[in-house]
Amino acid sequence: MLMPKKVKYRKQQRGRMRGKAWRGSELSYGDYGLKVLEPGWITDRQIEASRVAMTRFIKRGGKIWLRLFPDKPVTKKPAETRMGKGKGAPDHWVAVVRPGKILFEMEGVTPQEAAEAMRLASHKLPLRTRFVSRHEA
Amino acid sequence: MATAATPGTNVVEAQPRTERGKNETRRVRRGGRVPAVLYGAKKQTLAITVDPKQMARILTSETGHNTIFDLQVGEERSKAMIVDWQYEPVKGALLHIDLKRIAMDERLKVSVPIMLRGEAAGVKQQGGILEQVLREVELECLPGDIPSHIDADVSELVFGKLMRVSDLPHSSKVKFLTDPNQTVAHIISVKEEVAPTPEVAAAEAAAAPAEPEVIKKGKQELVEGEAEAAEAKPEKAEKPEKKEKK
Repeated sequence: MLMPKKVKYRKQQRGRMRGKAWRGSELSYGDYGLKVLEPGWITDRQIEASRVAMTRFIKRGGKIWLRLFPDKPVTKKPAETRMGKGKGAPDHWVAVVRPGKILFEMEGVTPQEAAEAMRLASHKLPLRTRFVSRHEA
Repeated sequence: MATAATPGTNVVEAQPRTERGKNETRRVRRGGRVPAVLYGAKKQTLAITVDPKQMARILTSETGHNTIFDLQVGEERSKAMIVDWQYEPVKGALLHIDLKRIAMDERLKVSVPIMLRGEAAGVKQQGGILEQVLREVELECLPGDIPSHIDADVSELVFGKLMRVSDLPHSSKVKFLTDPNQTVAHIISVKEEVAPTPEVAAAEAAAAPAEPEVIKKGKQELVEGEAEAAEAKPEKAEKPEKKEKK
């Protein structure tokens, strides 16, 4: 699972997700991409599930770039614990995304294959997404 | 290869903008136009508004942003081209455009797209993937000589061979400004993802660290006296938990 190698602090506050993704909102590497249309958190497991879905579909056909990284720790209190006694232990990692962010990019496949791979990947994500290609932009 | 300069064919009407600021630009966008700025040719910078449909047509044309067109602002008419443009990240609408006045007898720097042509031997025979590393090349030429794109033949590209900027075909009228050693395209191999067996997955999960290393802040070692004092300090006795009310 993806997570940082080193961190400055073990725990973080939740924060807000206002505005749009003004950076990372255009295709930079591949010809096709998946753009997210709403703000939210994408967990390390969801990113991995999407990546696996795409790579298994395209087999040896193309190259994939991940444009997001889960760098925010999410804590969780153990089950059946009373409230209080401080913040829970780090449980998993999430990537904070804002509308417009390109999540994945792909190259070396046909447009139909890329669209289908991105469709499979989008089913692993908790947010609405849209398939984008360089030719239409 | 078509050139970008097609003088006399495109006339873009622009209106000057008197008020500035985000409120005014938002009003302009709501009114169906796009705020833009016109500069260059040692003349005064002008804040203008343009028609987004005309601009989108220019940007999606064969010559793209290097298209040279006539810009009519009030009574002033000049040759201009698009230098920079911004899109809204979700809906993709044009937000703002930078236009530059062009002197047809002065050399200028432009970035021209590279189009890969043919099927690479590395893809056809060796089963690799063609990766385009560089999509635009910066060059210097007269406005009338700007190529719409640069065709790069990749049919002889195999594993271990690179196509560099110096390998791109170009006429003597055009001078490349991008580093000639920079890679344009190459053939890469991608391993097929194999579903891991449960044993391998379990071993990998066990080997992966549960938490990342925390970067320590400030002094690493305590001064001796402080350390002793810290040790001597008795630990706070834990409060006994309140009994649950029945």
